[in-house]
Amino acid sequence: MSATPGTLAGSRAPFAERLAAVRGSRRRVVDRVMRTVALAAALVCVLPLAAILLFVVIKGAAALNLDLLTKPPKALGTGGGALNAILGSLQMVAVAALVAVPVGILGGVYVSEFASRRSARAVRFAADVMVGVPSILIGIVAYTLLVVPFKQFNAAAGSVALALIMVPVIVRTTEEILRLVPHEIREAGLALGVPTWRVVLSVVLPAGRTGVLTGVMLAVARAAGETAPLLFTALGSRLVNVGQFGQPMDALPLFIYNGARQPIAALNDQAWGAALLLLLFVLGVNVAVRARSWGRRAG
Amino acid sequence: MIITSPGRLSALALAAAFAVGACSGSASPSPAASTAPGASAAASPGLGGPAAPSGDVSLAGAGATFPGPLYQVWVEKYAAAHPNVKIDYQAIGSGGGIKNITAQTVAFGASDATMKDAEIAALPAGTKILHIPTALGAVVFIYNLPGVTELNLDGPTAADIFLGTIKKWNDPKIAALNSSATLPGADIVVVHRSDGSGTTNAFTTYLGAVSDGWKNGPGVGKEVNWPTGIGAKGNDGVAGGVKQTPGAIGYVELNYATQAALATAKLKNADGAFVAASVDGVTAAADASVATFPADFRAAPIINGAGAATYPIAAYTYLLVYADQKDQVKGQALVSFVYWALTDGQADEAGLGYAPLPKAVQDKALAELHTITSGGTPIWP
Repeated sequence: MSATPGTLAGSRAPFAERLAAVRGSRRRVVDRVMRTVALAAALVCVLPLAAILLFVVIKGAAALNLDLLTKPPKALGTGGGALNAILGSLQMVAVAALVAVPVGILGGVYVSEFASRRSARAVRFAADVMVGVPSILIGIVAYTLLVVPFKQFNAAAGSVALALIMVPVIVRTTEEILRLVPHEIREAGLALGVPTWRVVLSVVLPAGRTGVLTGVMLAVARAAGETAPLLFTALGSRLVNVGQFGQPMDALPLFIYNGARQPIAALNDQAWGAALLLLLFVLGVNVAVRARSWGRRAG
Repeated sequence: MIITSPGRLSALALAAAFAVGACSGSASPSPAASTAPGASAAASPGLGGPAAPSGDVSLAGAGATFPGPLYQVWVEKYAAAHPNVKIDYQAIGSGGGIKNITAQTVAFGASDATMKDAEIAALPAGTKILHIPTALGAVVFIYNLPGVTELNLDGPTAADIFLGTIKKWNDPKIAALNSSATLPGADIVVVHRSDGSGTTNAFTTYLGAVSDGWKNGPGVGKEVNWPTGIGAKGNDGVAGGVKQTPGAIGYVELNYATQAALATAKLKNADGAFVAASVDGVTAAADASVATFPADFRAAPIINGAGAATYPIAAYTYLLVYADQKDQVKGQALVSFVYWALTDGQADEAGLGYAPLPKAVQDKALAELHTITSGGTPIWP
C-alpha cells in the first residue's frame, strides 16, 4: 500500500504528486477510522464475556455455599441445594463422553486415514451439518427414539442426546489434527513393516494426542452446557439420582433454567450459584486444554 | 437426611405413644407388642387408607405449574413418611401434563384445564384417564406499579386491558374504578403465558364470560391468540416477568403472587363487591358450585360464583391418572400418594394459597380412587 504513492510520484507530473499526498492523508484517516472500528468490534466481542464473567461470579459467589453443593432442593427454596443437578450433570456428561469419545475418535481416524476422498468428504459434510443442527432438534430425536417407546423420561436418553452433540465435534477435530501429522512419519512406520492399524494407533494418534484431547474436552464442555437436548429426555428431577439411568435426572443447565424463572428470590440465588458452578466447570475444561497445549509447545 | 429425620422422629413418637398405651392397658409390654404398633403406624397414613408398596418404587409426574409449589411440599412430606417411594414432580405446564400422560411417558399428569373430548379421543386405544381433583386455586391479576398499593378492576376493564384497547394506566376506565389511587401515565405491559396453560384456560374463561369482545376475539382455551403483550413460560415465568417490568400486568395462581410478593388487584365479583383473592374467597366459590360438580369430574373453572365474599376466578386442579395401571407396584404407590394428598395433604393447602376440596368433592375423589385397577383388579378395593 505505501509503495503505490511513491511509484505514482516518480512517474507522473507534480499534479499527480499532490494528488498522491492528498490520497495518502485520506488513506491515513481511513486507516485510523477503520482501525478504531475494528478495535471497537473487538471490544464488543470481549465485553460480553467480561460482563458475563463478572456478573456470574459476583451473583454466584454470594449464593455459593456448602448446602448448594451437598443438598437436594427443597420446596419453595427453603434451604436445600443443587446436589441433584451437580451429580446429574456429571453422570450424564460422563456417560455421553464414554459413548462419544471412542466413536468420535475412530470416526476422525477413519476420515483422515482410511476413507476414500469421496467418503471422507461425505462424512466430513455430515459431521459439519451435525455440528450445526440446533440442539433442541437432537433432543426431539432422542425423545422420539428413547423416551416415547420406553414410556419414561430417562437420563440415558439425555446422555445419548449429549453424545450426538459431542460426536461430530470430536470427529472433526480429530480429523483436522491427524491431517497435520506429516506423511513421512506414517511412511517411516510402514517402511519398517508395521501394519497400517499399528501405525495409526502407535504413531499417528500419539503424535496428534494433544489436539485430539483438545477436541474431546471442548466437546465435553459443550455438552455440559446444553439445556435444550435435556428438556425432552432427562426432563429434570428434584431427587438425587445416582446411577438410575432409566429415571429422570437433573442437570445444571436445567437447574439454572428452572430456578432463574421463579419469582422466589431464594431460587434465583440458587440458580446463580449453579451458573457459577457450570461456568467454573466449562472454564476449567477450557483452561486445562490451553494449559496442555502450552505445555506441549514449551516442551 | 433433613427430609427423613422428621419422619423417623414422628414414627418414633407414634411408636412411643403406642407403647405407653400398651403399658397402661396391659400388664407388661412384650417385645412383639412394641413392634406391631410401629408397623401399623407406617402402613396407614389415615384409617382405612390404601397401603403403600414396601419395595423401592419411583413415580415421575409432570404437568401444571399452578399447583407446583403445593405438589412439591406434598412430595416432600409424603417421602418423609414413605422413604421407599420416590416421587418427582416437574412443573412444565398443563399442556405438557396432558401431552405426556397421553404419550404415557409419566406415571401421572397434572392439569388445571380438564381434558377436552378431542384430547380424550387421542388417548391410546382402550385406556381411560381419571381426573382427580386435588385443590382449588384463584387466578389473580398481578401488577407492577410502584406507588400503587391498591388497584380495583372489573371484568370489562380487565378484558379491555388484555385486548389492548386500554393502553395507559391512567385510562379513564381504570381511573373510574380507582378514585383514591394516583395512576401513572405509563404504558400497560401485558404479560401472558406462552405455553399451554390451565391458568390461561381459567383466565380466558373469565374474560370470555365478562366481555363479548374477548369471547368473539381471542376466545377461551389453554392457548389463545393474544392481541397484545409478551409471553412467558409457566406461572413462575409470568410472575417473574411482571416483577421485573414496571407497568406490567399479568395473571397467575394466587400462590405465585404471594411467593413473589407482588401486588394483586381486587376484582369485582357477581355481587358487585371488590374482593382480594384469598383462600376464603376461593372456598366460597367452591362451596357455591358443589351441587353442579359433574360426574366425570371435568368441572369448568368457577367464574363469577354467587356470594358477597366469592372471588370471581377459581379453578380446580387435577391429577391425571390412568384408570388401569400397567405396573401394579407403581399403581399402588400412586393410589397411596393420592389418598394421602386427598386426606392429610389437604391441611397444607390454605397455608400455600390454595383452597382445600369441599367435603363433597373430596368424597367423590376418594370414591374415584377406589375404581383404579391394575390388570382389572382394584388396587384399593
